[in-house]
Amino acid sequence: MIQLAYPVALLSLLAIPLLIALHLLRPRRRRVVLSTTTLWQAALKDRERGLGLRRLLRNLSLLLLLASALVLGLALAGPQWLTRASEGADTVLVLDVSASMKTRSGIGTTRFDQALAEAADIVDGLPREGRMLVMTSGRKALLRTGFEADRDALRRVLAQLRPGDEAGRPREALALALSLLRGREQGRIYFLTDGAFDPDVDPGSPQVVFRVVGAPARNVAITRFDFRQELASDDRFQVLMTVRNYTDAPVVVPASVSLDGRALYRGSLELEASNEQTLVLPFRGRALGRAVGRIDVDDDLAADNQAFAAVNAGDPLRVLLFTRGNFYLESVLEALPDLDLIKREWSPAEDIARLARIHDVVVFDGIAGPRLPPGNFLLVNTVAPGLPFSDAGRVAQPDVVGRGPSALMRDVDLTAVHIDRALRVVIDEPVPGLQRLFWSPETDLALALLDDGLKLVYLGFDLAQSNFPLQAAFPLFFSQSLEWLRPRGDGFVSTHIAAGSTHSIRVPSIQTRVIMRMPSGDATTLEVKGGSLLFDATADTGIYRYSVGEVARYFAVTLTDARESDVNSRWAPGERREQLQPAGNGAQALVPLWPHLLVLALVLLALEWCVWTGSRGSA
Amino acid sequence: MAMKSLNAPAGGDPVFNDEFLRKLQRLELLARKIFRGLLRGEHTTSHRGRGLEFSDFRRYRPGDDFRHIDWNIYSRLDQLFLKLHTSEEDVTLHLIVDTSASMGFGEPSKFDHARRLAAALAYIALHNLDRVGVSAFAEGLGAALPPIKTRHHMARLLTFLGDLPCAGVTRFDSALRAFAMRTRNPGLVVLISDLLGAGEAQDGIEALRHGGHDVVVIQLLAESEIDPPLEGALRVVDAETGDELEVTVDPELRRLYQHRLELLLQEMESFCRRRGVEYLRASTAIAFEDVVLKYLRQGAHLR
Repeated sequence: MIQLAYPVALLSLLAIPLLIALHLLRPRRRRVVLSTTTLWQAALKDRERGLGLRRLLRNLSLLLLLASALVLGLALAGPQWLTRASEGADTVLVLDVSASMKTRSGIGTTRFDQALAEAADIVDGLPREGRMLVMTSGRKALLRTGFEADRDALRRVLAQLRPGDEAGRPREALALALSLLRGREQGRIYFLTDGAFDPDVDPGSPQVVFRVVGAPARNVAITRFDFRQELASDDRFQVLMTVRNYTDAPVVVPASVSLDGRALYRGSLELEASNEQTLVLPFRGRALGRAVGRIDVDDDLAADNQAFAAVNAGDPLRVLLFTRGNFYLESVLEALPDLDLIKREWSPAEDIARLARIHDVVVFDGIAGPRLPPGNFLLVNTVAPGLPFSDAGRVAQPDVVGRGPSALMRDVDLTAVHIDRALRVVIDEPVPGLQRLFWSPETDLALALLDDGLKLVYLGFDLAQSNFPLQAAFPLFFSQSLEWLRPRGDGFVSTHIAAGSTHSIRVPSIQTRVIMRMPSGDATTLEVKGGSLLFDATADTGIYRYSVGEVARYFAVTLTDARESDVNSRWAPGERREQLQPAGNGAQALVPLWPHLLVLALVLLALEWCVWTGSRGSA
Repeated sequence: MAMKSLNAPAGGDPVFNDEFLRKLQRLELLARKIFRGLLRGEHTTSHRGRGLEFSDFRRYRPGDDFRHIDWNIYSRLDQLFLKLHTSEEDVTLHLIVDTSASMGFGEPSKFDHARRLAAALAYIALHNLDRVGVSAFAEGLGAALPPIKTRHHMARLLTFLGDLPCAGVTRFDSALRAFAMRTRNPGLVVLISDLLGAGEAQDGIEALRHGGHDVVVIQLLAESEIDPPLEGALRVVDAETGDELEVTVDPELRRLYQHRLELLLQEMESFCRRRGVEYLRASTAIAFEDVVLKYLRQGAHLR
């Protein structure tokens, strides 16, 4: 069935009489009187008998002109072809693997089992030429296959899928699925879910077909579990645990909280229907180790009946300072918290490579150091050999005229800084890891370099010959420089992340491997480059223990998501589902026809031109 | 003397000018030697039993009456010859000239050529024949000159021919049928036409034969009809009917045209042969006296 988007454009067909008039005005044939035309008529018939289209070709020029005008007029009217989804339409299957899909739904089955059964039906019902892409929607949207026509391969992939302990983000998954079908209006997206999300997840696209599985369920969940340090106290901490009853009846829930096996709480919580209760458990002492909270309840979703947190002891930053004495520099380093400062005078006999390995940061203050090995270095008023920049003399009273966008310069105000004398450096070879921090017209005054295991901050003037130490920016610059040289993100505070999210692990630049032990007990070795590692295999809740060299640290992965634990479907798109037809089974789509008509009109015009010029030539 | 008695028609007709008359007289001298048996022996077949006096022999040709074969010669020479006899009755030569518009084409025109040819035949025929009549036809039977007996009336004949118009549509069937019905004394009919419109022409010739006439057909064509000098996109107009036709003439179409013309000519020739009608074909590019001498010499009547 064809619909017209702009029927009024059909008025353009009134131009056809004009075309006929123009055609008639073309130069006429030469008139010749003959004794008889009978023989010519017979000859023409002979020729037309041989070439059946000759008769048509006699007025081909006009016919082509009229046809092109007709097609253009139709194109302007915006015809659209209302068609059923073609046999070869692509399908995207989005499978919800969030924690709520673990909810029991019947005896021995979960919502995810039901979703898999639905997925199998969809695979079985694929059109003969249809292709399907399988992706999962957890905290992240992950593609599990490409567009695959092999039904067995699709079934194998589906059989390997399991729900995680993560909170779902279906909005991102559906956006990705729609982007995969961009330009394929007949494609369909099947989202197999339990509907435990906000209605605004629906992108409103007619391509998305929701298949909601599961039934209302009973659930009591730990929705918050965390450490916090009491104000103005170094050794007083609190553990917070919130438990929510999602059922419509009061429940009594046995609960317990432990820290490295030491019980912080054991008791029962009385929870009203659709209500929650928060435990605040103070304790004194160094907060180190792994905390576990549990509730002992027989509900339909077990994944949120436990929660985890980890607290790592913060190691002090070990800084080695080579200086002949610098009051300002020593003062600022000693003032920074959790920093062990070692001052020495430089000797060429020092094994700089070993020193770099055993210290977090090595500082050279006004001392011409050696060629620098891999490690973290801070150069003040000196330049080391082998760097991409070199000493080129001195500059008197340089003005700070520019600053770079580096994180090292965050909130560092240099407007009042005056420098009496500075090193003049020349960048010999630009390298990608070299950042300009701030500079004068004559030279760079501060640089940062990250190059193949070497991290370095360069400050190109004597602190005593500037008013920089008197500025608020001074300690900030050094604090941020040391944090950049040796990040301490895994230190003091408790570390727990939501299941499915990515955990950033910072390691000394000299370390190249991290051994990760999962909650299941399985261990894996991960390669590290550039001093940091992004770890995202966090679908399961629990304590993750990793080793960097001799140091062991923890982080906890927990669900504790009130929205995810609300396992009762809050959005059942039944009405939409009735309206939509699955792809290949009669789904309808509007296919615009005007581009095809436009191309056809151009081809007809080109043909008309050829015929017209050809006939003029022969005449 | 005959040559002295031939005068140009009054008004200085460009067709029958002095040069034509001189040619005609030369032609008469040439024809005299072979004109002795003109038409007499030939017409013994159609007027059986009337002429019994032996005149001449000629070779047998398909269509001749077996009864006139001289079997004695056959037994000696093993070849078929006919015995020709002199007719004792008067024979009238009827010259029928096509004056339709299509005859006006060619250089010289077929019409002029036909008139000169008719005049030449009449002039030569009057040498021995009793009577020569001339009729014009186009859409219908047109002006007619009653049979004349002597060359003294030759000027009248030329004037008649010179005054004929060249116009109208050809209707062979009705015109020739009217001639056959109107003519009381059957004779030799010489039809001079381009015969464009062959289907009707055959019906007309058939009507002449049924009228008891012996028929000779001289088909005249212009060179521009045999090899038309046309090229490109044209709107051709039929001179007789006014019908228009758009054609784009290219070598292929010209070849098809010539093929059609050849079929038309062959069809007419075949028809004439089947009906025992003498058929002669001539182009306007050939001088009328050459046609008379060359073509009529090949014909049965001038043996």
